[in-house]
Amino acid sequence: MANNLVNNDKILKVFSNIRCLNRDQLPRYLDGRLTDVEKHLVEQHLVDCNLCNEALHVLQQPQYREKYQSLSVSIQQYIRNSIKQVSHVQKAERYQRNEQKKESLLIYFWVVAAIALAAGGIYLVQQEKRFKIQSPKPLASAADVKAIQASSTEPIGAAKQDTVTAVPVPVPTPPVVVKENAVKPVVKKDSLKVKDTLKVKVAPVIKPVVKTDSVAKKASPAVKPPEDKKSDSDAKKVAVPKDSPPVKKDPPPVKKEEPKVAAKDTDDKKTVTKVTAPVETNNTDEFLYKAAMVYHQQGDLNEAISRYKHLSTSSSRYGELARYQLAVCYRSKGQTGKARRMFKEVVGMNGSMKDKAQAALDNL
Amino acid sequence: MLQQLTNLSDKELISRARKLKDQEAEGVLLERYSHLLVAISMPHLNTGPGTTPEEMYTSILQRLSNSLKTQTIPKANEWLHYTVKAQNDKADRNIPFFPSSESRNVQQVENKVEKASNNLLEQQQLANQIQQVFKQLEQEEKFFLQQFYIEQKTFAELAAAKKYTLEQVRLKLQGAKQKMASLMMTQTDGK
Repeated sequence: MANNLVNNDKILKVFSNIRCLNRDQLPRYLDGRLTDVEKHLVEQHLVDCNLCNEALHVLQQPQYREKYQSLSVSIQQYIRNSIKQVSHVQKAERYQRNEQKKESLLIYFWVVAAIALAAGGIYLVQQEKRFKIQSPKPLASAADVKAIQASSTEPIGAAKQDTVTAVPVPVPTPPVVVKENAVKPVVKKDSLKVKDTLKVKVAPVIKPVVKTDSVAKKASPAVKPPEDKKSDSDAKKVAVPKDSPPVKKDPPPVKKEEPKVAAKDTDDKKTVTKVTAPVETNNTDEFLYKAAMVYHQQGDLNEAISRYKHLSTSSSRYGELARYQLAVCYRSKGQTGKARRMFKEVVGMNGSMKDKAQAALDNL
Repeated sequence: MLQQLTNLSDKELISRARKLKDQEAEGVLLERYSHLLVAISMPHLNTGPGTTPEEMYTSILQRLSNSLKTQTIPKANEWLHYTVKAQNDKADRNIPFFPSSESRNVQQVENKVEKASNNLLEQQQLANQIQQVFKQLEQEEKFFLQQFYIEQKTFAELAAAKKYTLEQVRLKLQGAKQKMASLMMTQTDGK
């Protein structure tokens, strides 16, 4: 059995893979300086390797044997030198590649960072725009009013159109003369007490005011109560309806302006240029008053009070209205002392709101 | 790095040189066979124009380097021998090296034996297969193989016994080995 195993090992040697003769073995084999085992291994390799066999045949000839050592050493040196050069070049190339990779990575990083920043900026701008669109536009804040005053009449008209739903806005329309006739009866019914104070002469502005006011009256039933003198007692219960009376009262003074304007247009056109400044201040007061009304209707009493206060110093009709509304606001907030004082001031002003203020004062 | 490369086998060096374009590996491989290359080229030195040692060995190395990048090389010694002989014979036609079928059979069996070296069962199976094939050889072939591989006789002893030259003995052994390999590959279907 053991003999069989040994024979198996030996027979496997037929196909054992043996390396070529190295530069040390080659001359030693030729000189017969190898051990028996070594020699047998070399011969096993020689069976298959024509390269080693041919080399041995060549080197058995003495004329080649002499040159062999020097040539062998020189070619080895030559190859090593070329490898060294190559390796230096390779190292340099590798270093360059690494550097280039680092640079390119940095470039990519900055490009990506720039893109991200740009995208973030665009996103923020879009969000801001959306926020602006979604948030309710503050109506006629002090800054806006100033801006409107500074701008031409057309932008004012546009701004007014935006607020039509909440507040009646005058829109310039050409057919002036025809509608004057329709408006006149309304004007006659109202008292013309405020005629002297308001000197508006621009015809196209006036008519739409009348129209929008009438529309507003029809649209909101809450507007009606203020016409009745009993409305003050009702106003105690509900805050919003209380605010509406002045909205009604806006039109009458405006209507009063219309006849004047019509008359003045026919009489003397030269006065138009002189009256433009009062019209502007009147418009500003109107805007401020309407803006305050909006806050009042939205229930933001503090903001409304601050705006009414700002407006109450005005000498125009809106000063009286603002004081009245201020009193209403105070009453809504439960500050009866202040409300009483403001109503008294309104009564003292002896204006169009005197009766209502007196009634409210009595009810307090 | 060079030290690490010198420990690699021919196959690994060729692979590195081809796939990674590692010129150091290529240099190590050529250095490993440079003494044999010098030896077989010596009869062709100074035999005509361009046969000075510097020119001749440079051109041989260049040819080997180019060949290494393009050709499939199962055995480095055969590829070197073929290429150097083609260069020395001044063969204009650059016919690529391709190993013979006998050589491939031998190499496959050698790979099998190498693979089974760690597994006794596989070794046993392979030994049995080789013995089966061995029985199919001619008497003379059996004699040479048995005397050389099992009795560990030298070329010289075998040549003296049969009154052959050393080269004849080598060729007899080579032929017998190739025959065994081809028989093994055909009978076992390469398994």
